[in-house]
Amino acid sequence: MSHDLNLPGSVSTPAIQSDWQAGRLSMQGDSYPENSFDLFDQVIDWVEAFLARESRPLTLALELVYLNTSSVKAMMDIFDLLEDAHEDRRAVEVVWHYDPRNERIAELAEEFKEDCSYPFAITPLEVPA
Amino acid sequence: MSTRERALLEEVAALLEAPAHRDHPLHAALERLYHHHLEQRDRLERMINIADGFQQSAQQDLHATRHQLERQRRRQRKLSRIADRFQDLLHERNQELADASTQDPLTGLANRRCLDDHLASLAAGAARHGRPLSLAMIDIDHFKVINDRHGHVAGDRALVALAESLRDGLREGDLCGRWGGEEFLLVLPETRLDQAKVLVARLGDRLRALDLALEDQGRPTSVTASIGLAEYRPDEDYRATIHRADQALLAAKREGRDRTRCDAG
Repeated sequence: MSHDLNLPGSVSTPAIQSDWQAGRLSMQGDSYPENSFDLFDQVIDWVEAFLARESRPLTLALELVYLNTSSVKAMMDIFDLLEDAHEDRRAVEVVWHYDPRNERIAELAEEFKEDCSYPFAITPLEVPA
Repeated sequence: MSTRERALLEEVAALLEAPAHRDHPLHAALERLYHHHLEQRDRLERMINIADGFQQSAQQDLHATRHQLERQRRRQRKLSRIADRFQDLLHERNQELADASTQDPLTGLANRRCLDDHLASLAAGAARHGRPLSLAMIDIDHFKVINDRHGHVAGDRALVALAESLRDGLREGDLCGRWGGEEFLLVLPETRLDQAKVLVARLGDRLRALDLALEDQGRPTSVTASIGLAEYRPDEDYRATIHRADQALLAAKREGRDRTRCDAG
């Protein structure tokens, strides 16, 4: 789909890929962008458009590590969109993968998960021994 | 409508209906007054209804606003809580980086960079205030044999045990760092060469007495160390002191190891 996102990511911005066909949005890495609104507006627009135009399930696959305050706010906004969709009986889910060597990220994902009534899995990544 | 009002209205209506009063001079005026009252009462009721309606919708608005405010507050608290925790995380990461850049990852002792920084500032202070400062370069004798015989994992374990023993044998203010493979550097502030000699003799005994427990049969594994000592001279670069301690260590090794030699200078 022409309106899919494929941002490579940098030291301060997460890599973002969307797959309209599969109903999947993925984000990995640290997020403390200079202008978080520019970055997350694209993501929020994509999620809103998908939820408005499609009736298929949507999965958010996250491997986020460090988030600054405005990125935390943007993620809360996205989770709220999913919550609204869930209340409209849409199938939505979040899978948050974290490095098991950094349990703190799992605790933070738990904080986000609070108030979310749709499936929200927090699972450790497989790490090579 | 109250019972008294209803009774009054019924009474007036009955009087107006009665044929006997039809020609009474006040009949027409009373009849107009009666209808005027009924109209006014209707109006009043409509006004009350409208006012009630407004009040109700205002109540609903207020309720919705309160609800929204409560929701915003919750969100704000959640946002601050998560943001604070991320900040803690960043803080920890910084600390880990700082540790990684000053610590030897295997033994947890100061690494070479940390030793350099520490020595540079100590030497400056010692020179300025004319305070003594001594260095001891320690080399574990025949350590290669341990690696060859028991493998590098066991060798690493032995290094950790030796490092711990050295660290525990020091006074507060002393610093022990890993200089290289099985070489350790002790930085001993406020210590003259003769005092350092006593201290390292004790450390040498500690190391000798340490069982590295590398043999399966339970036979103790012990090591000895060769040590070179040098005292800082106020007019020299601290690196020169390290070099002199190193030269003294070489002399100790040349003379057969398991001994301490002081820089002759």
